[in-house]
Amino acid sequence: MNLTADALQDLSAGAVFLATGGGGDPYVTYLATQKVLEECGFAELISVDDLDDNAYVVAIGGVGAPTVSLELLPSVEDAAIALEEFERHVGRKVDAVVSFEIGGGNSLIPIIAAARCGIPVVDGDGMGRALPEAQMMTYPIAGVAPTPAIGLDYAGNVVTFSTDSTETYERHVRSMAQAMGGMITTVEHPMTGEQLKSSIVPDTITFSTEIGRILREYRGNAHRIFAPLGEAFDRSIYGELCHIYTGKVVDHTSSIVGGFDIGEAVIESFDSTEPRLRLNIKNEFLLARINDQVVASVPDLITVLDYETSTPINAERLRYGQRVTVVGVGCPAYYRSAAALKVVAPRCFGFDCEYVPLEDLKEHHQPMSGG
Amino acid sequence: MLRIGIDVGGTHTDAVLLDGDAVIASTKALTTADVTTGILDALETILADHAGREDSIEAVMLGTTQFTNAVIERRELAEVAAVRIGMPSGKGIPPKIGWPEDISGSLGDDVYMIRGGYLYDGWPLAEMDDREINSVVDDLKVKNVEAVAISSAFSPMNAEPEQLLAKRIRAAIPNVRITESHSIGRLGILERENAALLNASLLSFADRVVTSFLEAIRNRGLTCRFFVSQNDGTLMDAEFARQFPALTFASGPTNSLRGACKLTGLDNAIVVDIGGTTSDIGILQDGFPRESSIVIEVGGVRTNFRMPDILAIGLGGGSLVAKDGRTIGPRSVGHELVKEGLVFGGDTLTATDIVVATGQVDIGDPSAVADLDPDVVAAATREMAQMLNAGIEKMKPSSDPLPVVLVGGGAVLVTDELEAASEMLRPEHSGVANAIGAAIAQIGGEAERMVSYEKTSRQSAVEQVTAEATEIALAAGADATTIRVADVEETSISYMAGNTMRLRVKVVGDIAALENIAAMENTA
Repeated sequence: MNLTADALQDLSAGAVFLATGGGGDPYVTYLATQKVLEECGFAELISVDDLDDNAYVVAIGGVGAPTVSLELLPSVEDAAIALEEFERHVGRKVDAVVSFEIGGGNSLIPIIAAARCGIPVVDGDGMGRALPEAQMMTYPIAGVAPTPAIGLDYAGNVVTFSTDSTETYERHVRSMAQAMGGMITTVEHPMTGEQLKSSIVPDTITFSTEIGRILREYRGNAHRIFAPLGEAFDRSIYGELCHIYTGKVVDHTSSIVGGFDIGEAVIESFDSTEPRLRLNIKNEFLLARINDQVVASVPDLITVLDYETSTPINAERLRYGQRVTVVGVGCPAYYRSAAALKVVAPRCFGFDCEYVPLEDLKEHHQPMSGG
Repeated sequence: MLRIGIDVGGTHTDAVLLDGDAVIASTKALTTADVTTGILDALETILADHAGREDSIEAVMLGTTQFTNAVIERRELAEVAAVRIGMPSGKGIPPKIGWPEDISGSLGDDVYMIRGGYLYDGWPLAEMDDREINSVVDDLKVKNVEAVAISSAFSPMNAEPEQLLAKRIRAAIPNVRITESHSIGRLGILERENAALLNASLLSFADRVVTSFLEAIRNRGLTCRFFVSQNDGTLMDAEFARQFPALTFASGPTNSLRGACKLTGLDNAIVVDIGGTTSDIGILQDGFPRESSIVIEVGGVRTNFRMPDILAIGLGGGSLVAKDGRTIGPRSVGHELVKEGLVFGGDTLTATDIVVATGQVDIGDPSAVADLDPDVVAAATREMAQMLNAGIEKMKPSSDPLPVVLVGGGAVLVTDELEAASEMLRPEHSGVANAIGAAIAQIGGEAERMVSYEKTSRQSAVEQVTAEATEIALAAGADATTIRVADVEETSISYMAGNTMRLRVKVVGDIAALENIAAMENTA
């Protein structure tokens, strides 16, 4: 299937929904992708099933602080140059590219690389959402090593990585990103088609576009959008869509710890009669509690929507007084495996609670009220 | 001392004369096609009973929507050359990317991208190349461009590249009009660059507007100073307004909130400005409008201006009422109300007719609504209160009770208490709150930096940025002794070590007395 510029708006809007508050504003990357697709005509999007088992695939995307990209703009050439530098480094051709995460600019960078290099981009990603660290991707969870890898900065400077573990790679790549202007393009996790087939969260580019289309066509509050959105999730690899809470942000604090945006938002019902919802943030929305009861947690998806329009809101754009609807979506089954929960359960983010699947917490969710 | 506030809206030109805090004259006149005639008419009306006191008028403050409307209607926009300093970053993402074609076309095709700018940590992004600068300057000279917008990566933190290039261009093309992005916008180069482009495009129009306003007030025999109100409720003097017309884009709603603050003495309140078609609900926080956090588009162009957070609901004096009274708006007869409404002899049932039918307000001909079904009147009254209550509940920052201030021509619509309000205020002169907001505005200054609290303590970072904001306020004509910090905003930067914050400080102060300004000018 050919991915053209027409699909981009829906794809990026849907990716903001699936990014669960993280990934940054994809607007600038969106502009770059649109430009590249207009010039190149299309990017070839293939299903992972159509990939040869022996194909050589790499994951490509941006690492660093999304806020930096608001000033240090990406170039349309970055992704293709990074791929060429990687090929030079490993001494072989790459057959296809795939995304780290469906969220923010990282859902789009592999599309730019594919269009400009004339190779396919595989439909799917390594998270099915956005998460903050490399070891949380499905590729390393399935045993794919992150290196050999390269990082490219805005000026064409290249750094290569060779590390003994994903955790070490995560530390190195993050500090290099800071030293190289705050945002770099990395090519990493080289793997075979066979390895990708067993580790990818499949079809998320197509699905993200579908979510974006629904957000556009049914623009309005949760009452308008909930049914069509819920049906789309029912047909997908994701779990059920649940209404968690509607209200306004009455408190929002954040600070930076170890390069991550750590914060908490408190949301109160419009009539102030119900107990408040507390949202814990570490770049993404990770944990939602009412009183002390957990009502949704990572790795399930927690997304905050603008109350009036159901436009998904990035965590960094969440503000005091904003009127919001908080929804949850069960994560793809892959993340509920014991191996995956070892790196993505609430405890991995410092929360003192066990993971309980979203659908088992429904009795604690605020019912959707009014009309 | 007397002050005059004028608010030029799309439909009405309002004016007030203030003596200290007291409104001693006010008027609501129709905006004329040439604008100036309407202003002169309004001035004439408010000064009619105060002839001979012209000399004790301290200043005239003007709020205007002319520049916003020029962008929205694509009028009066001059061609602008865009120069961005930031290569090798941003290749393929040139200035004006993502703009609607019609407005992009209005600004012409001259776009340049050259090396230079800074990184987030102050390290040079790239060295500026003298030959590259020369070739841009030569090209601009050959094309004889009239206006230029300059942007540079991280220029709010280091404006040197923009300043250097502006100097070179001015030296080569003496009468060129230039907007440097760091002087008009925040972090976010595309949005800041857009703001600079729109501003540069309006410079020639702004020159004419300010000149004609000045002529209008001079012709009326006023020799006092003249200010224009900005988006954030502060003032700029005439010369500053000639350079920064884009800073007026949201001054209308801001002035209405500030006017409500003045009329009630409340610093924290909900303000409902009820017009003909909508009720605009805003929040006063410490005397200033709560600002919106989303990207604001002006005429389809993304900007990051400071704009008040306003919830508009479809309820105004001219809103259509369904036969059963259960649905009101969002359609409205607008300013045709005075012809179409039942009490004005028309045949359309409007929100105004309902309020007259309750007997609590006397407008037009009450006998025209005497036969309305009391159940319909009751249902419609309930629905109006319900719409406002729901809107106020959504905007209220917390469950703490807050007073509600009703302003605008349609404020008479609300006769009963609203549940969502801790108390309701309907101040006198609320119909001209906008003009009052303009009249009482102060001088402001704002500065923004990215800082690392590991390298600089929070306290000294806030002090540094406050000092910069104070410099800006002083330059804009504020009285040094009255300057205070109005707002400190800290935003943390994701995926960045060292506790990196985006720190923004806003200060405000009273207008410096004329003699102090004169003294400053003499020593300068």
